[in-house]
Amino acid sequence: MARYYFDVDDGVVFTLDQDGIECASMDELRFAAIDDLPDLARDQMPDGDHTKILVKVRDAGGSYLFEASLTLDVKWAAGEMDKSEP
Amino acid sequence: MTAEFVALARSLERRDRLSPEERSLIEQLPARKRRFDSGDELVVEHSEPSESCLILTGIVARAQFLPDGKRQLTAVHIAGDFVDLHALLLKLMDHSVVALTPCDAAFVPHSSLIAAFEASPHLGRLFWLSTVIDGAIERAWVTSLGRRSASVHLAHLICELFVRLETVGLVRGNSFDFPITQTDISDMIGLSLVHTNRTIQDLRSSGLITWERKVVTIPDQQRLRDFAEFDPTYLNLINRPR
Repeated sequence: MARYYFDVDDGVVFTLDQDGIECASMDELRFAAIDDLPDLARDQMPDGDHTKILVKVRDAGGSYLFEASLTLDVKWAAGEMDKSEP
Repeated sequence: MTAEFVALARSLERRDRLSPEERSLIEQLPARKRRFDSGDELVVEHSEPSESCLILTGIVARAQFLPDGKRQLTAVHIAGDFVDLHALLLKLMDHSVVALTPCDAAFVPHSSLIAAFEASPHLGRLFWLSTVIDGAIERAWVTSLGRRSASVHLAHLICELFVRLETVGLVRGNSFDFPITQTDISDMIGLSLVHTNRTIQDLRSSGLITWERKVVTIPDQQRLRDFAEFDPTYLNLINRPR
């Protein structure tokens, strides 16, 4: 069991994790980082057309060892739907 | 009032007057005391208890487990709460009650509760009220789970716990003991562990709470209440005839 720190860049603010959480394995760390992304997106729906929420995981020594991100791309669509297909 | 029923009587007497006869009916309830470690189940899902369980010390939660091992805590209970009055009527438990900290509980036979309620229908109504308030708390939790942001949700939960603990005399100034894990909190507010951890840090860094060595302190109650949009009406802390 080791403690890892999950820093977040939500496109506007970079938040340094002060407390960290304990993870028993690398799989658990990976799951914790990915599991965090939908919560982050739900909490602060990003503004703008291109936003990336990034979670970077570091160990107690300060080395980054994993990252996961979620991207929101927004644009006004153009063109017609394809009506030839049933 | 004997020690095991002090918190229960406090909780009831915040909502209505107890007559001397009603106080003695409560005192005469037979109580089989048991100690639990954190993680233990006090009441097991799908069991058919013949007793209801009154929390004396510690913090417990109602838990529902999913097949993939995930868990949602749907209510938290503290000293003075009768956690499974439901079973008196439902018979079969549809959820478990788990200890989040070491705790003491007293088990009171359903038959004794029914006899006390028949001796004083008013006392029966007050116990009924406690399950109605449980329902009101669950509505507040559902609203938080569905619609509140993580930090407002957690702030709301902290406001609620403070008021409930204060009702039974378990706060010190602006502080209360809250020796539960972040995993427990994340299972209460339905968020990932990492997001829960960050939400706690957010509330701390904005000065709304301090949370150190398992003690939560609220430096400015009104500020936290405003932030949490907390309206304690649902806790029904009004003393009136019921």
